[in-house]
Amino acid sequence: MTCWGKLGPVTPLIKSLLLLCLSIASMAMLPGCNNRSESEEAAPPATVYRHSMDGAPSSLDPAQASSIYANFLAVNLYDTLYRYKYLARPYELEPNLADGLPEVSADGLIYTMHLKPGVHFIDDPAFPEGRGRAVRAEDFVYSIKRQFDPATRAQGAWLWQGRIVGLDEWKENGSDYQQEVPGLKALDDRTLQIQLVSPFPQLTHTLTQGFSAVVPREAVDHYGQEFAIHPVGSGPYRLQTFNSASAVLVRNSRFRQEPFSLSAEGFDAVSQGHLGLEQLEGKAPPLMDRIEIEFVAEDAARWNSFIAGELDFIKVPVSQFDQVLENRDPPDLNATLAENYHLIANLESGFVHTDFNMDDPRIGYHPDPDRNTRNHALRCAIIEAFDWRKRNEIFYYGIGYVFDGIIPPAAPEFDLQKHHVPVARDLEKARNLLSDHGWNAENLPVIEYGFTSSVTERQMFEQLRSFLGEIGYPQEKVKPLTFATYGDYARAYLNREVMLMTIGWTMDYPDAENTVQLFYGPNASPGSNTANYNNSRFNQLYRESSGMQPSAGRTAIYREMNQIVIDDCATISGVSRRLILLWNRDLAALPDRSFVGGFFFRFVAPRGQSGAAQAAE
Amino acid sequence: MTSDSRIWRQLKKNRAGLAGLLIVAVFFLLAAGVWTGILGQDWSDAGGGRWEPPGKEFWFGTNLLGQDIFQRSIYSVRTAFEVGMVVSIFSTVLGAVLGSLAGWYSDSWIDHAILWLKGVLDSIPFYLFVAAVAYALQGQDWAMHIAMIATFWTTTGRLVRAEVMKIKSREFVLSARAIGLPDLLILSRHVLPNTLHILLIQTTIAFVAAIKTEVILSFLGLGVHDGVSWGLMLAESTQEVLAGHFSNFLAASLMLFALLMGFNLFSDALQDAYDPKQAAI
Repeated sequence: MTCWGKLGPVTPLIKSLLLLCLSIASMAMLPGCNNRSESEEAAPPATVYRHSMDGAPSSLDPAQASSIYANFLAVNLYDTLYRYKYLARPYELEPNLADGLPEVSADGLIYTMHLKPGVHFIDDPAFPEGRGRAVRAEDFVYSIKRQFDPATRAQGAWLWQGRIVGLDEWKENGSDYQQEVPGLKALDDRTLQIQLVSPFPQLTHTLTQGFSAVVPREAVDHYGQEFAIHPVGSGPYRLQTFNSASAVLVRNSRFRQEPFSLSAEGFDAVSQGHLGLEQLEGKAPPLMDRIEIEFVAEDAARWNSFIAGELDFIKVPVSQFDQVLENRDPPDLNATLAENYHLIANLESGFVHTDFNMDDPRIGYHPDPDRNTRNHALRCAIIEAFDWRKRNEIFYYGIGYVFDGIIPPAAPEFDLQKHHVPVARDLEKARNLLSDHGWNAENLPVIEYGFTSSVTERQMFEQLRSFLGEIGYPQEKVKPLTFATYGDYARAYLNREVMLMTIGWTMDYPDAENTVQLFYGPNASPGSNTANYNNSRFNQLYRESSGMQPSAGRTAIYREMNQIVIDDCATISGVSRRLILLWNRDLAALPDRSFVGGFFFRFVAPRGQSGAAQAAE
Repeated sequence: MTSDSRIWRQLKKNRAGLAGLLIVAVFFLLAAGVWTGILGQDWSDAGGGRWEPPGKEFWFGTNLLGQDIFQRSIYSVRTAFEVGMVVSIFSTVLGAVLGSLAGWYSDSWIDHAILWLKGVLDSIPFYLFVAAVAYALQGQDWAMHIAMIATFWTTTGRLVRAEVMKIKSREFVLSARAIGLPDLLILSRHVLPNTLHILLIQTTIAFVAAIKTEVILSFLGLGVHDGVSWGLMLAESTQEVLAGHFSNFLAASLMLFALLMGFNLFSDALQDAYDPKQAAI
């Protein structure tokens, strides 16, 4: 009756229709109840993990897995040769589809890898009789070739461009899949061989990326453009539904049975003992029947859904840090939330930095040596004026990690000894730099700071302007250069049209090579070196180190390169943001937004009995 | 009694209208204070702490960056008046010119062309069109103004056209034509001055609409590029309200409400004063 009352006046006709519908529904349910078998009644309810993301993938094709959202899904729907250990920190490589780490030739140029036996694609109409066939080495060759095929419009080719013998030529010759690539071969159904142009120690890391996921050619041919929403892979999950608001993945019942090993995954009882992960020992992932992913870009909506219990996981919006955290250092969950949720505060695997466009003679390199020196002083003064403490406090709740240089804390080569002291501003030094080099309010150049039209970006600009005001930079000489979309902004800075630009870089793999390459001269725009930085010593060191395996010698070279960029005052850098992740205590899990990323889905389990206990029963 | 004195008498009788005029005058004084450098000059300084509550130092509190919300609210009055004045004046002039041409040359190709243009512009959803123009011209300081002027003139043009069609058959116009005065001279000297009441009312209406549109466009990131406006303050407040801080939201929305209410009351009073039926009462 209450329900009718809430609905307001209901006409007799509508009442009759509703009653009719209810009657039909009841009749439809009755035979189902009667016919249910004993085994169905005894079956446990499906286990569901409800994940939230602050953005949505536009495609599920691994060739388009450029965003963190697309990558999360790609590595669950498809298989990559390698992944990162679930629990080991720092991150460590682990074979995934590959049966062991690669065998590398003495000169570092030939990588041989074997696939695990008995791995099958999911059943799909793309295959004869709808039965998924075994994954073969040839599928990997095809998948990498797709990245270089202009028809695919793939976004991952840069990972292997100029690296694999004959691959770039294959593209130039028309991307004919019948034509073999000398450096990319399937020696047999389960053996792959990659031959490199020059040593590339990061190759194995690139094979953890969603871009390198293995796709079957039959499915690509069968679905054509629709392949973007009809994933056919061999990953732990298969797609049930997908749209711009959500995706539902269900367990791939044919996924290879690999019992979970705490020690192999790098379990640390001290820091991870409270998460209930011990129960995973011996169980074979995937451990959930169903993964429901909600794509909610709006912070408030995502947070409210989480608090209402509609989600099991959230990356907490910065605006909620005040409500969520009891303490900042170390970040600690408040008592009310701690009853129901676990917290982890991870540093992002990347950093935010503001680059000077060194190609702009107003502030970068200048043909006149005197002006070049003055520009250097100007850049250094701006860096000295930048208040990282305040930037961190305002935009990252004071829990970001501020450091100088271009090697972030997530990189193993980060120099903790040197960077443990927070970067401090020096206004006096900044003012002196300006005055000693003849800069004054009248002759200072107009600074154009580029950003997309969002509230946060605008506030960052206003904050920068206020910092510069403190060293006498006239307000009217610090101008915004706004862009409606990130695409417009990126186009402008790739065309070297933006004088000062803030970039957030997420590392593709835990190796400082991935960040120092951002300042390598030949990578200048439209490449990844958006600062258009070009220092001959730096470039020489980069070339020298590019073929080196991780070692103390290589780390020393990276650190020298880091210091060169700092001395040249080419970038205002930087901060690694701390991400606050919350998840339901009813789950045994360790979520990750970094290198493990989407790989953790397969290990999420409902908290309960341990695998060993189950086995004993 | 002259027409002007009659209108002024009518206006004085309308208390709500006078209150509106007073509110607008106060806001104008604030805007003048900003123009002359007396008020709101520290709107971009980030000298305070994050989200400080209202107090002696910061009357309306501070925002995320520690900027004084009072200073920003006051500076935004200048932004509102600048946008309102530029858009209302230019759109009224454009509407007057095109409307009078269409009315004077009614049923000619000039009239048809202007009506076609007006019909096309009116058929596009207003905010969608303004946002599209502002987006297409992004980077230009005057993008938002151009977008609004391009759409606001149509109503004025329609009203002026109808009035000119009515006036052009009046005896004084026929006399002017009879003595051989050129069309443009008759239009500018004898016809347009008789549409002044429409133009005056339309200017106030366009002023209000321009301020509202600026706030919406700035909120969407398509409006003010360099500076501050109530729209930008409201956009900032979307994040602050989540964290339980309402100063930005309240300051911007109350200031906007007060100015719009003042203008609306004054505009209504002006319409009543010019209405001959009201005069007869």
